Amino acid sequence: MNRIGKHQGWKKNLFIFLFLLPTLVCFCIFYLYPILTVLISSFAKWDYTNLNQMELYSLPHLFDNYKYIFTQYPYFWEGLRNSCIWALCGLVIQVPIAVTVALVISNKCRGWKFTRNVYVIPNVISSAAMGLVFLQLYNPRYGVVNQIIRLFKPDFAENILFMPKVNMIALTCAYIFFAGTNMIMVLGQINAIPAEIREAALLDGATGWTLNRRIILPLIRNTLKTISILSVSSGFLIYNEVFFLTQGAAGTKSISFLIRELAVVSPRAQYARANAIGSIQILGGLVLVLLINLLFYEKKERSASK
Amino acid sequence: MKRSGASSDSAAAASLSKGQRILSYILMTLVCLISLFPIVWVVLSSLKADPLAQPGFTLPTEAYFGGYISVFRDMHILRYFANSFIVAGLSVLFSMAMISMSAYVVARMEFRFKTFISVLLMSTLFIPPTAMTFPVYNLINRFKVNDSHAGLILIYTCSGIAISFMVIRNYFLTIPKELEEAACIDGCGLFGTFWKIMLPIARPGVLTAAMLAFMNYWNEYYWASMVLTTKELKTVPAILAQFQTAFSTNYNGMFSAIVVILIPPVILFCCFSKYFIEALSGGAVKG
Repeated sequence: MNRIGKHQGWKKNLFIFLFLLPTLVCFCIFYLYPILTVLISSFAKWDYTNLNQMELYSLPHLFDNYKYIFTQYPYFWEGLRNSCIWALCGLVIQVPIAVTVALVISNKCRGWKFTRNVYVIPNVISSAAMGLVFLQLYNPRYGVVNQIIRLFKPDFAENILFMPKVNMIALTCAYIFFAGTNMIMVLGQINAIPAEIREAALLDGATGWTLNRRIILPLIRNTLKTISILSVSSGFLIYNEVFFLTQGAAGTKSISFLIRELAVVSPRAQYARANAIGSIQILGGLVLVLLINLLFYEKKERSASK
Repeated sequence: MKRSGASSDSAAAASLSKGQRILSYILMTLVCLISLFPIVWVVLSSLKADPLAQPGFTLPTEAYFGGYISVFRDMHILRYFANSFIVAGLSVLFSMAMISMSAYVVARMEFRFKTFISVLLMSTLFIPPTAMTFPVYNLINRFKVNDSHAGLILIYTCSGIAISFMVIRNYFLTIPKELEEAACIDGCGLFGTFWKIMLPIARPGVLTAAMLAFMNYWNEYYWASMVLTTKELKTVPAILAQFQTAFSTNYNGMFSAIVVILIPPVILFCCFSKYFIEALSGGAVKG
């Protein structure tokens, strides 16, 4: 403001205001208003009996929606458990896969560029389409998976998507290996490490695994944190795979699936209850981000004290 | 360029022992197999006249293209591609226009609440969109844009602010201050400075964000399947949910339709992979 001169101050402020306005309006429409609605109406009665106007519960009944979801709604704990499992899978399976592939490709053996590009292909295809592809792969009559099982169990004719527990593995396998975009982010950071650092480490006798663990991984810690947050939250929010592969049958519902079920699909239009689960999802997502920050913070402390 | 690339490649590869190199090749082959297996299998199955008769991962006895012909002739698949293109394209246009404006102001100017607004917009990255299913659904109904492309474009334009904002703001931050001051002296107004000088310089950043956003919108299923109920209006991902019932026993037709849906993004990626990979690996997405 001072640089341009005072008489232009209001002009500049107007300019700033006008330029921020569209984004802020969108923020209010899509984030602020919905979040407030979700949080407030989770303490209200709002279903097919009062479609147009929610009614806040009186104080003694304030937590009725939550009480219903925790104690009576049959699928909540199943959904929360599954979503947490998928969040954990993101951290302990998907992130290590992405990092391993990135480390292998960063060796730059012949064909590394080809491998890198091929690995991203499943990620440019929509997860809905991939879900549909895997639905065919798991089909008991013409899919491949059952054929492989039949090599060991000749009379196996079941649909693995309807076998409890097994179907969770099947659902996880339908997306967990495809960490192409995360891998690219890690690879970009590994390639950005100056060659001198590598060479110095090699002179000190650090090779292979030691080099990776002691030198490279600590240098890309921030990117590791970023991809951990991305993998964990996408696992926690999974919807498409559940919808396309099992439609939530046989113990595979996720939290997102429950929200959609209650808010849009259910004929009883249990909006407030959907929003109560939504509040839990928002809270859960924040807790997960916080946990990952803690995880990487601790690592930093430890390596500093060494 | 080729030469220096090759020499640094071989330097990295030379530091490997033989065992490590073999292990690298094995893993690289495995990665390719896992990535391509589902797609190749679907393509193979789409060429079989009756996938039930020849199940599993086998070559078709003879190539049959009937499924593809019916996908284009009876399903009007191109219509859904056009829908997707309109929705994703307009959403990218609107959101890039809006976000390059706010990102510019936040990156290059001083004002009160600047940090607050910046943090506010970034924090949307951590808000699960599915949690807001009902309010958004409700809003779309109240604006009377349910079951229309306008509704979906509204949702797409408003969602995904965080990443685009980060990418574009980071790009604006790298531009030296002198350019703005020179424009100021030359008598460019505030808007002129933005439109004629800063925006053209920031084009690579905006294009990166636009590409990432376009891909997200093109592939988006959750909102598309909820907002659009008329079949003719559906986008490509939204029409997928109907395949299983639409083709009930015509497996060949279904496989062909899946292939037709899978191929365009793959071809696009093959053409633009360089930019796509640069966008992700350049740290543009970092916080």
